[in-house]
This record gives sequence, structure tokens and C-alpha cells, in this order.
Amino acid sequence: MFHAKVVDIKKEKIKLSNAEKFIASSKCGASIYFVGTVRDQNNNKKVTGMTYDSHDQMVIKSFEEIYKSSISKFKFDDQVVFIEHIKGHILLGEISILIAVACKHRDQAYELSRFFIEEIKKKTPIWKKEHYENEDSEWLEGNLIQSK
Amino acid sequence: MKITLELFGASREFSNKEYLEFFIKDQIEVKDLRNEIIHFLDENFKGNEKFKKIVERSAFCSEENNIIKDNYKITKDQKIGIIPPIGGG
Repeated sequence: MFHAKVVDIKKEKIKLSNAEKFIASSKCGASIYFVGTVRDQNNNKKVTGMTYDSHDQMVIKSFEEIYKSSISKFKFDDQVVFIEHIKGHILLGEISILIAVACKHRDQAYELSRFFIEEIKKKTPIWKKEHYENEDSEWLEGNLIQSK
Repeated sequence: MKITLELFGASREFSNKEYLEFFIKDQIEVKDLRNEIIHFLDENFKGNEKFKKIVERSAFCSEENNIIKDNYKITKDQKIGIIPPIGGG
């Protein structure tokens, strides 16, 4: 089972309770929640918030592709994955991404959770603009998508 | 032919709108569009090197949400998305 969504902060927030309901399964004995939040420092600058931009359709497509590749890579009997990523401006401590996975065993769940966040960082078209104490802001440098 | 370039991430600094429009006489490839954008930046942002670097490091996507290569031919009016280096999470 798989759930993927881009959450517009103007309309709603990412809620752990939604993930908890989705991944609940008596077939799975291990659940991992990876929660990304905005931290207060980066490169010696005091951060006050973050704006996330996304190409929504490509984000969903990317999440689906990562899910498919996780199935062929790991071949776990049962896996449940819930991913939501925020879009828009959020403040310190607020949730930017939630990846919840459930598997039969704990080693599978840890592996799957790590796989998703690392693949998203490399493949999913989402961008971050950091906002600083002095009201300055900056788009963060990211990973190249190869196309040439 | 009109190419509507949808802006994302750092490329949003190129305009107050969510897109740029390019009017091109003949069919072009993505690598030519890349040059058109750099030409636009030269004219409108005095060749802002930071902006030009964004274009040089970007990928592009089609209306069908596929990443397209530099030799992809644009033959009719369409939307193309510019995909600067990514970094979600």
C-alpha cells in the first residue's frame, strides 16, 4: 500500500495521525516514522523559516517511481509507505516531510525508510528557500538532475 | 511558436510571474531554449552570473512531466518546465 501527497501549507499541515492510520497493519511488526523539520541554523546563519517549492505532478510521479523501485530492490513481502511533503512557507520546528513505513521486521523498516529519504533528496523536484533573521533569504543549492 | 517556460525553485527569481514566454520562429531543441533563456537574462538582468549558472545547471521537463534531454525538439506551442538542482526533505 502506498500514499503520496504534496501538502499545501495554505490549506493544511502534515499530520502524524494520518500516517499512523494509513500504515496500521496486523501484517507488519515494525513501523518507522521519519519526520523532517525546519532547524534554526544552517551554514552559520540563523534560520527563521523555509519556503518549499515543488513541481507537484512530477513530485507524485517521482514518489511513485521510488516506491516501485523499492519493491524491486528489496522484495519485502509486505510494505506500507506513506509520504507527504510540504509546499509553501513553514516556520522553525514545523514538519516539511513525513515518511512512514511499516514492514514485517525492524531491519526492513529501517532500510526502507532510509532508502526513501535518500532517493527523494536525489530525484524529487522540490526546492528550498531559507529565510534568515535579517530578513534575507536564499534558495539552497541542490542536486543536479542529469539530462544533457 | 510560443514556449511557456514554467519557473521553479531558484529560477522563480527570473520573473514576478510563474512563467516566462519565448516566441521562436522555427523548431528548436532544448539546448537552444537554454541559450534563449541565458540571452533573456543577459538583457534583463545584465548577465547575472548566478542566474546564468542556474540555467546551465538545470534540467527541463515536458508537458507530460518527463525529464527531456538537450536534443529534445520543440516543434509546437507548449509548456516546458525548468528544473533547477533539487533539494527537498
